[in-house]
Amino acid sequence: MDSKNPDIDIIDLLKKDINKGFRLVVKRYSSKLYWHIRRIVIIHEDADDALQNTFINAWRNISNFRSESSVYTWLYAIATNEALALIKKRTKNAALSLNDLGSYFTNSNEGNSWFDGDEAQIKLQNAILQLPEKQRIVFNLKYFDEMSYEEMSRVLNTSAGALKASYHYAVKKIESFIRNG
Amino acid sequence: MKELKNIPKQNPFKVPENYFEEVNRKILSSTAGMDSGGIKKGIVRQLRLYLAVAASIAVLVVLSFTAIHFFTSGKNTSALPGITLNEFTDNYLTDIDILTLEENASTYGLSGGVTGYNDNDIIDYLVFENIDIYDIYEQL
Repeated sequence: MDSKNPDIDIIDLLKKDINKGFRLVVKRYSSKLYWHIRRIVIIHEDADDALQNTFINAWRNISNFRSESSVYTWLYAIATNEALALIKKRTKNAALSLNDLGSYFTNSNEGNSWFDGDEAQIKLQNAILQLPEKQRIVFNLKYFDEMSYEEMSRVLNTSAGALKASYHYAVKKIESFIRNG
Repeated sequence: MKELKNIPKQNPFKVPENYFEEVNRKILSSTAGMDSGGIKKGIVRQLRLYLAVAASIAVLVVLSFTAIHFFTSGKNTSALPGITLNEFTDNYLTDIDILTLEENASTYGLSGGVTGYNDNDIIDYLVFENIDIYDIYEQL
């Protein structure tokens, strides 16, 4: 096993006592995964659903987890897929369109309750929403989660080089949107 | 990244109070009744099957050699030339169906007359003591 694996304590505990190990997984990663999902789906209730589905899927597939990889990237991959599945389901319901977050957060009670940012933050979140889904995820993982390209490559099953390029163009688009919007 | 640098990197989204304690509790209670498959259990289950087969083969080899030794000691053995264990496993066992061996081993019983031990005890012993078929042969 890789001695640099940051989840070595979790992996050892999962082998000795799977229930205790899973409790540690939930405690350590529920918050990080929630915010990753929330930045993709925006709405709290949707993020809540996707988060719970993520851990249920993780529990059901824990026997497929290979101990030489990290629990962190494995969970992030599951969470990303859950968030994307939820967005796909949501776009079928044309009543809710999140192209204009400003409108959603300032004009609706629900949006107002769950957003605490100023005008600059709204502008940034709107800019991020303009990006294609996968590029948005790349931007969020790099900018907010400060994930390395190598880890991101394992989460998204894409080469690190492609991810670097994607992030570079994401930043350019966001800055252009902020400048001109 | 000028424009981006001017915007503080903060989290503008909010969650209900005590959300994470609640959701952790919900997640753990949802998964409590579910079968996970488990990491260790899967490997041990798989190992048990192969070990059961290996133990059956080992017992048959021991019985065969004991029988041959018993019935041919002091007699003309030209009809039954001496063979090594390697020759036996390479030439005779390859034609034997492993499932048939397992059935035959169960009729003889893996415990071989030793009371107080069941098949699972013997399999566990073979696993944890890392017993090899050649170790058994050495004891004959």
